[in-house]
Amino acid sequence: MANKKHYIITAVTLGVIAASSGALIGVANLVTRNQIALIEKNKIKAGIVDIFGEFAVISKEESVSDYKYVNYVYEVSGDNDQFLGYAYRTSGSNMYGKISLLVGFAYETKALKKFTVVVNEQTYASTLVDKYINPLNDKEINIDDVSCGATYGAKLVREMLNEATQASTKKWKN
Amino acid sequence: MGKEKGATKRNFLKGIVNENPLLVSILGTCPALATTKSVEAAIGMGLLFTIVLVCSNVLVSLLRKLISEEIRTPAYIVIIATFVTIVKMLTNAFLPELYSTLGVFISLIVVNCIVLGRAEAYASKNGVFDSFIDALGMGAGYTLAIMLMALFREILGTGAFAFGKIFTFIPYFKLQIIPVGYEISIFQNPAGAFIVFATILAVIAFIKNRKTELKTIKEREEKIRKQQEAKALAAQGGNK
Repeated sequence: MANKKHYIITAVTLGVIAASSGALIGVANLVTRNQIALIEKNKIKAGIVDIFGEFAVISKEESVSDYKYVNYVYEVSGDNDQFLGYAYRTSGSNMYGKISLLVGFAYETKALKKFTVVVNEQTYASTLVDKYINPLNDKEINIDDVSCGATYGAKLVREMLNEATQASTKKWKN
Repeated sequence: MGKEKGATKRNFLKGIVNENPLLVSILGTCPALATTKSVEAAIGMGLLFTIVLVCSNVLVSLLRKLISEEIRTPAYIVIIATFVTIVKMLTNAFLPELYSTLGVFISLIVVNCIVLGRAEAYASKNGVFDSFIDALGMGAGYTLAIMLMALFREILGTGAFAFGKIFTFIPYFKLQIIPVGYEISIFQNPAGAFIVFATILAVIAFIKNRKTELKTIKEREEKIRKQQEAKALAAQGGNK
């Protein structure tokens, strides 16, 4: 009987701790979520400018569910509502953390223009950016070249870029 | 009252000097090696670490009589993980530069053995105030240790000391210490972190060994002096 009581108290204590933790995290989420969303939105805006130029703005936003990594597609226009192209927001993760990219495709060439990193929570975050993402953007290396210090992250980036390219090809055909 | 104040001071200082978690106990080395590229990042990491350590120590101490033996470790992990998640959310929202600089190492505070170690070894056995002071001392000790590492790595690796890039509310400034082109970039790489860490540990070991050596020499001299005195006394007694 005493044993049973002990087990019940133990389970209830752990349950109360877990519930309180959940509640605290919930409150923290409530306090921070708008600010985090705003920061992410600003990062997307900055990424669009980085890819398409100073006057580029998002004219239309659409969520995508047919792909593993591509979540959003943004229609980008410039001065005088001139259509500049599409930007695809991709998110993925592996055992080293999450990466989210903004991949831009120009209307003129219908090809990959540039991509930027929105979120990079990889353990080798800086290595990935320095040794793979930056050279790739500067066209110094091929997309399949993953012989860098962050091979797993590089593979994930490559897969996301390939999927964004597929989504873009499909969209241009339509 | 004075005695109590002295004990509190000793409790705080032990985390900085005698029981420094990084330089004496060699705990929490992973984030110390990874987040010490710049002093600013090290300060950020140290602050977040201290906040988590203080909050978890205080809560564990408060609940120490309620948490039974069987669920101690899972309960501590849940408490620590909660504070890490909250700190991570707050950093993401209000210090985004620090969040992107430290990246996954904020989440990894959950598995930092110093936090769990202090909860288990100290907070579960002591009162709230003592646990608070202990956590504050350990946090300060860890922060100072990683700041010291970062100072060497930043100056030697980049040739300059910069501030205001992560804590954007502080005006940015950069002080060029080593002429451009003469910096040693290896100190910005993981290998450089190991070199700096090992050098600091070697210096500490040298100072400790020297202290012990001097103490031993002093004791031996004292012993010889006492023996000589005893001999002299015995000789005097014999003469009489």
